[in-house]
Amino acid sequence: MSYFADKQPLVDDIFSRYPRSPQGKRSALMPLLREVQDAEGYVTEDRMHEIAALCGTTATEVRSVMSFYSTYHTTPTGKYHLQVCATLMCALAGAEELWDELVSELDVQPGEVSSDGRFSVQKVECLGSCGTAPVIQLGDEGFYENVTPKRCRHLLAALRADQKPAPDNTIPVMVNSAGLQVTYSGQAAGAPVEFLRRLTDTDLPAPPPAGSEVKK
Amino acid sequence: MTAPAPPVTPRRPIVSGTDPRFVPTLYAHVGQGGSHTLEYYLRHDGYMGFKRAVAMGPDTVIDEIKKSGLRGRGGAGFATGLKWSFMPLKDGRQHIVLCNADESEPGTFKDRYLMSEDPHQLIEGMLIGGFAMRASLGYIYIRGEYVHAAERLWAAIHEARANGLLGKNILGSGFDFDLQVHRGAGAYICGEETALMNSLEGLRANPRLKPPFPAAAGLYGLPTTINNVETFCAATHIMNYGADWHAGMGTEKSRGMKLFQISGPVKRPGVYELPLGTPLRELVYDWAGGPTEGIKAIIPGGISCQLLKWSDQVLGTPMDYESLAAAGSSLGTAGVTLIPASASIVQTTWNAVRFYGHESCGKCTPCREGISGWMVKMYEKLGRGHGQPGDTQLILDMADNIGGRSFCALADACMGPVLSSIKLFREEYDAAERGELIGAGTRRWRDG
Repeated sequence: MSYFADKQPLVDDIFSRYPRSPQGKRSALMPLLREVQDAEGYVTEDRMHEIAALCGTTATEVRSVMSFYSTYHTTPTGKYHLQVCATLMCALAGAEELWDELVSELDVQPGEVSSDGRFSVQKVECLGSCGTAPVIQLGDEGFYENVTPKRCRHLLAALRADQKPAPDNTIPVMVNSAGLQVTYSGQAAGAPVEFLRRLTDTDLPAPPPAGSEVKK
Repeated sequence: MTAPAPPVTPRRPIVSGTDPRFVPTLYAHVGQGGSHTLEYYLRHDGYMGFKRAVAMGPDTVIDEIKKSGLRGRGGAGFATGLKWSFMPLKDGRQHIVLCNADESEPGTFKDRYLMSEDPHQLIEGMLIGGFAMRASLGYIYIRGEYVHAAERLWAAIHEARANGLLGKNILGSGFDFDLQVHRGAGAYICGEETALMNSLEGLRANPRLKPPFPAAAGLYGLPTTINNVETFCAATHIMNYGADWHAGMGTEKSRGMKLFQISGPVKRPGVYELPLGTPLRELVYDWAGGPTEGIKAIIPGGISCQLLKWSDQVLGTPMDYESLAAAGSSLGTAGVTLIPASASIVQTTWNAVRFYGHESCGKCTPCREGISGWMVKMYEKLGRGHGQPGDTQLILDMADNIGGRSFCALADACMGPVLSSIKLFREEYDAAERGELIGAGTRRWRDG
């Protein structure tokens, strides 16, 4: 059973992002893989063949690309695939202990799916959320940030009840409503953006005087 | 109204975020309600920088970027204007601008909020770059994990297209440009420019041999220039406020503002927009509130940088490209991380080495065997308390055969934390050779 057969508009949309050339066609490989995996949780051999045919390559090539990246899976994942960042900044916030808690609490190891089909776990490298460590990413969705032991228990309880909490998307940036940054002691520093003179399209740099070629 | 003549007296450069003349621009709107929408962006004079660029003409735009002193914000610090001028002028081929939004250097998390909270700023920057470099197509390669930011980018691109800000004859300028988002799938090496191009072409993301450089043959073999998200956003503001404004911040060779990130045990981790040349101490104390526990080392610019020992002198270092290089490290992506005194340096470095071992693409032997194989095993041995005399020397010998011998910079990046940690904390390695680890077993996962 084909995955993309009844999704022509989606396929067209993906291919329209890249040049109409054999090389451009191949670029659709990753977005197509992403579509399958988001829908099915992993990518089967049959799907690899299907994607290969669409992109003008072979299933072996598709598998080779998949194996390069950490977010594609060739084996089933749980309904909730929890990815724990274990890189230094999260490790300094206790990511290793968080990981131990998850695997023992859920009784699942990487590559497995919990007996109720709900959970799978993966230790991943830096997720780019170091300001709100430790962090867990749920599947191909959002981040849960500042995952303290208490928040971790709440998250697991909610997922067990199939009530997925909204992702955090915390913004660790301290800018007040006037656009000024606030120091730790609470003082607004610097000047607001209105302080700057905004140049317009009639306000152009003077052309260099003849003979004074800008040094390259 | 005629504009007043700019003051001719040389002004004191701005080298502190608390300088009353310093104006945050990159993050001025980050976190404000609705800042990701076109309506908000236009209300705050959005796309005026692009209009000014069009009025200037492409060559003057490149000259202005050169004059501003902007250097690449992705880590390498190459002069942006110079890079833009490498694009061939009259070759008749399609030109491409690429945005590197892979942001995979551990300790780095600045571009994420630029894209999710102020995506039009990036689109405008890419329009400016595309216009200056005669490109008609742009791609934003965003790391796969930034789902929310990617959604915001797509929404912003659709808004821009619907309002004639992307597409044919943009704002009547005769300039055609379209922009696409391509999501990665979790590989650090995709931050390397040619690996990123391979990834975008649907290949394994191995780096390519240079030359040819991307400006000669990049994505799909076409002339390509790739810049970091923050670099394009800075270009937007250089068009808005002028090259002189940008050059008025920072130090002689490091001009402008920079997004500094701070993580680890500090009271207020996060991203702060500060002028280059701001002392490390100001970031750590005035902005981040100071450490929450005793600190022994500091990573100034992402995990690939050499560690610096926590000291008064190091805290006094101005955070710019030259000063941090002189201090024995580098500015990198300006992702500052503090290493607590209670953490074992050997285990900390093991974490970093494991990261590089996992992320090595496998193309060249020194990196694949040297880091993913030997280096990781040596650190695991030491880090688990099974060290033996001579292990540190063995690591140094291996490092000799890895550093400078790999295909791309990933292996050299790994040698940053390895060599600097041995140099600065040899006593901890000596202890680890006896099976002793400092602070091992400290619980770090806590509520509140």
